[in-house]
Amino acid sequence: MLPLAHVGHYLWTLYVIPILIVVAAIVRNTIAQRRAGRDD
Amino acid sequence: MTLPVAHALASRQDLPIPAWLFAWAASIVLIVSFFALSAAWRKPQLEDEHRRPLGERFSAALLSLPAQVLCGAIGVFLLGVAVYAGLRGTEAPDRNFALTFIFVTCWLGFPFFSAIFGDLFRPFNPWRAVGRAAGGAFTAAAGQRPAHLAYPERLGRWPAAVGLFAFVWIEVVYGRTSIVSVDIEPHAVAVAALVYSVYTLAMMAVFGVEKWCERGEAFSVYFGMFGRLGIFGAREGRIYRRRPFSAATSWATVPGSAAVVIASIAATSFDGAQDGAFKDAIEKVFIWFGDRGLALTTALRLTDTIFMLATFAAVGAIYLLGVRGMRTVPGAPSFKQLRTGFAHTLIPIALAYLVAHYFSFFVFQEQAQFGYLLSDPLGTGHTDLFGTVANEVDYKLLSANAIWYVQVAALVIGHVIGLMLAHDRALVYWPDYRKATASQYWMLAVMVAFTCFGLYLLSVANG
Repeated sequence: MLPLAHVGHYLWTLYVIPILIVVAAIVRNTIAQRRAGRDD
Repeated sequence: MTLPVAHALASRQDLPIPAWLFAWAASIVLIVSFFALSAAWRKPQLEDEHRRPLGERFSAALLSLPAQVLCGAIGVFLLGVAVYAGLRGTEAPDRNFALTFIFVTCWLGFPFFSAIFGDLFRPFNPWRAVGRAAGGAFTAAAGQRPAHLAYPERLGRWPAAVGLFAFVWIEVVYGRTSIVSVDIEPHAVAVAALVYSVYTLAMMAVFGVEKWCERGEAFSVYFGMFGRLGIFGAREGRIYRRRPFSAATSWATVPGSAAVVIASIAATSFDGAQDGAFKDAIEKVFIWFGDRGLALTTALRLTDTIFMLATFAAVGAIYLLGVRGMRTVPGAPSFKQLRTGFAHTLIPIALAYLVAHYFSFFVFQEQAQFGYLLSDPLGTGHTDLFGTVANEVDYKLLSANAIWYVQVAALVIGHVIGLMLAHDRALVYWPDYRKATASQYWMLAVMVAFTCFGLYLLSVANG
């Protein structure tokens, strides 16, 4: 049995996902740029 | 008047996709807008207002002394009616002119319309009108203009930020009488208005009318901030048309401006979350204080104050995180410069939050304002000044889904404009558009965060 009765309490996680995707993309991009800068 | 549930008068039904998916779609719109801006917008466009003066006669008529006196007199008269209604009228909040007039018609109406037409509050500002009249009378009697102290520039707009916070505190914290409703008493609002009037006139006497309106008078600063988005302005005796949003770029140069706009976003967020997203947490802290012997009302106000301050801190932290991210880009100005330089980009977000949270409330309550409240301002049931006392609010005017779509559209458009302003300012600091774009990655994250946060608050509040 899944505890679905309280699933509404965790609905906020679905709103956080787009933010996490954007932040992850920025971090990844920043690291890649720094690496490229070091290689140059 | 139960303010926090005002935007939740009906539950949504039959949305084509789940509410959270709107947050994903809004985020995609922002990301696409971000890349479109970086590809097509390579020079600052908004630093210059591109003023185009309107007809000389039109300007002269609108800015003439009789017109200024008339507008000021209207402002003073309406403030007087609101205070009188608060002191002498019914204690039923929804039947007293004072509450709807102050908290809805003025508090929401001026931002909504100023954002389109420019600062509309300035000519109707009752305290400015009284201050100018008193200054004029002094000059006539003494034969010289009144002398004022120099305003401490370090204070900037901080007094306005504190005043704004205090106003919202009275509205959503002080007026909260139980865990489920806000029922502020009209009498308390009238007394607060009188206290604020005395304080404002005293400050105007000390620092000068115009200086205090620019820096410390909370309503002038707050409504004027939204007016910077609008297309009309006045300068040197002429009314002019300007490029939309361009006047906002010079707004935040004064210290404390960021605090004003952050306080605005935080206040709206807290009001929306008080009976929605924060409800469980507020209840827990409230019970904790109650268990330690605090009186119920004190415990409730203390809890709400803590959450309101926490919201202010959280909104400020998200913005500062974006600013901190910009510092990592080569050639970045100082943190302080960036913090001030990008504060105006939050103005459209503050407006978007206001529209999203209160649009339906405004539409419904204005029917009351121009219906039974106008005819029976004291709410005694004995007067019918304009024959509209029987008019009721039509809650079917807007469907729940229509409200939701307006809310989503307001948030998305507001954040896209925020991105646009930030991109334009970045091009000033980093003339190389590639660096400017790189500097805005973190602001994109800030905008996505505010959009998703706003939609989450609305989805919980709307049920």
